[in-house]
Amino acid sequence: DSHIQYERVGADVTMKCGSMDWDAAVTWTANGTDIDESHLNGSYLILKNVDLSQSGQYSCYEGSSWHLKYQTSLRVGTPPKEPVLMCRSNNYPKGFYCSWHLPTPTYIPNTFNISVIHGTKDMVCEKDAVPKNRCHIRYLQLFSTVKYKVTLTVTNALGKNFTTLTFDEFAIVKPDPPESVVAKPVPNNPRRLEVSWQNPSSWPDPESFPLKFFLRYRPLILDQWQHVELSDGTSHTITDAYAGKEYIIQVAAKDNDIGTWSDWSVAVHATPWTEEPKHLTTEAQITETTSASTSSFMAPPTTKICDKGAMVGSGAVAVCWTAGLVMAAYSVLFI
Amino acid sequence: GDSWGIFTFLCAALCNLPALPALNCSEELGAGQSIQQTYDLTRYLEHQLRTLAGTYLNYLGPPFNEPDFNPPRLARAERVPSATVDLDLWRGLTDNARLAANYRAYSRLLCYLRVLDGQVGTAELRHRLAHFCASLQGLVLSIGGVMSSLGYPLPTGPAGPPAPSGAPVASNDFLKKMDDFWLLKELQTWLWRSAKDFNRLKKKVPPAVVTLRLEARGF
Repeated sequence: DSHIQYERVGADVTMKCGSMDWDAAVTWTANGTDIDESHLNGSYLILKNVDLSQSGQYSCYEGSSWHLKYQTSLRVGTPPKEPVLMCRSNNYPKGFYCSWHLPTPTYIPNTFNISVIHGTKDMVCEKDAVPKNRCHIRYLQLFSTVKYKVTLTVTNALGKNFTTLTFDEFAIVKPDPPESVVAKPVPNNPRRLEVSWQNPSSWPDPESFPLKFFLRYRPLILDQWQHVELSDGTSHTITDAYAGKEYIIQVAAKDNDIGTWSDWSVAVHATPWTEEPKHLTTEAQITETTSASTSSFMAPPTTKICDKGAMVGSGAVAVCWTAGLVMAAYSVLFI
Repeated sequence: GDSWGIFTFLCAALCNLPALPALNCSEELGAGQSIQQTYDLTRYLEHQLRTLAGTYLNYLGPPFNEPDFNPPRLARAERVPSATVDLDLWRGLTDNARLAANYRAYSRLLCYLRVLDGQVGTAELRHRLAHFCASLQGLVLSIGGVMSSLGYPLPTGPAGPPAPSGAPVASNDFLKKMDDFWLLKELQTWLWRSAKDFNRLKKKVPPAVVTLRLEARGF
């Protein structure tokens, strides 16, 4: 018959070959592979200081007949560390949920047991199918002065551990982030961005339990965020955006009166409206006129030198330009 | 036995006193009180209470000023009106019932606070309590104003705590401190609840401009 055996990492394990005598001739295998006789003490298998890699199927066969005498599945693991528990109400006033996990894996199966006490009353936290380590509770009463005490116990074959959370109804209220955040440029407004969003769908009653919002935005090229708090409405127009720069925008939500801010929403990117660039030749003409006027302003003496050179070719013009600049520099010095 | 009688008398006396200065205050509040302003008042009070409660609990000393302090609710503490209510019941409250519940609760809480005021040791605490009581009275008047403007009658009945149910007044110092602890807790919870009550009222009832006619009400 088959067994399962749980052992701690680092422990010394002795496996007996079922009902066989100590001095019987046996062969042990680990996952089908023969185990060297050095690990045997008579018919007992000795594993010292076991580690995770030694988990597996161990079988014991009678020496000559090769009959299977004993089989066990060895699972090496650890007793559970103190679990991490979190409770939150993202659907106030309907209720709250608690979720948990182990800080380090135990490598063997664990069972979790959660208890919720409200004053003297025991409440049932209904386990969610998905995700697994989660349960939810419906509030029977609102505006309670008595705290809730949640205890999570985790047990496995090697030990148990637990943790407790005590909190007021109001303290754990934290909505989910706002949904469907959209940011759009505003036509003909190079410094504006229109942002809109929706209440998180998990918040059941925004009419009686309105949310307020916090918007943050910055151009991608800067690290500093700008913030706006909004007590009403699900849209806002940014009016001080830097023209032509791409922005990153996020929104968070909070119950108007109680609890804490949600996490930031998914970030959206947007760039304010910019004017279409004009026809290319016009631009070139503007640059030419500017440089021509500059040269005439800068160095009147050089025109004399260059006048002859200008007719010769572009190379001469380049030399001329450099000479002109040098002259201009000297003339500035004298001024 | 006797101490309970004295307590009730004290409360009745202290609660009827402010009727006179209230007349002056109400004339100032008379115009433009709306549900929004009442809501704002509850938020202001909640903020004030945080400081007051911190100071008071420190005055009471441990374990009352420990953040984890989570004592069981003793039956005696039921004298203080509780904000706790069944969810569906709360949802289904009529505007009148909702306002009346707030009015009654704060009237009684104010009364208890005033008794407290007469007993505390330090001048700082007395000053804070007095300030808070004044603001709380403003809230009661504000709620009353909203009710009047909507044509609802102000809840009648004793302004003080109800007749003794047989539970003795705390002769024990520790039990007295427990009572104080729960009083502050209930007050805090009521202020949180009121924010939600007035949110609901805001949506259902347009902001009301109130002209108080306190003389007619025999205040």
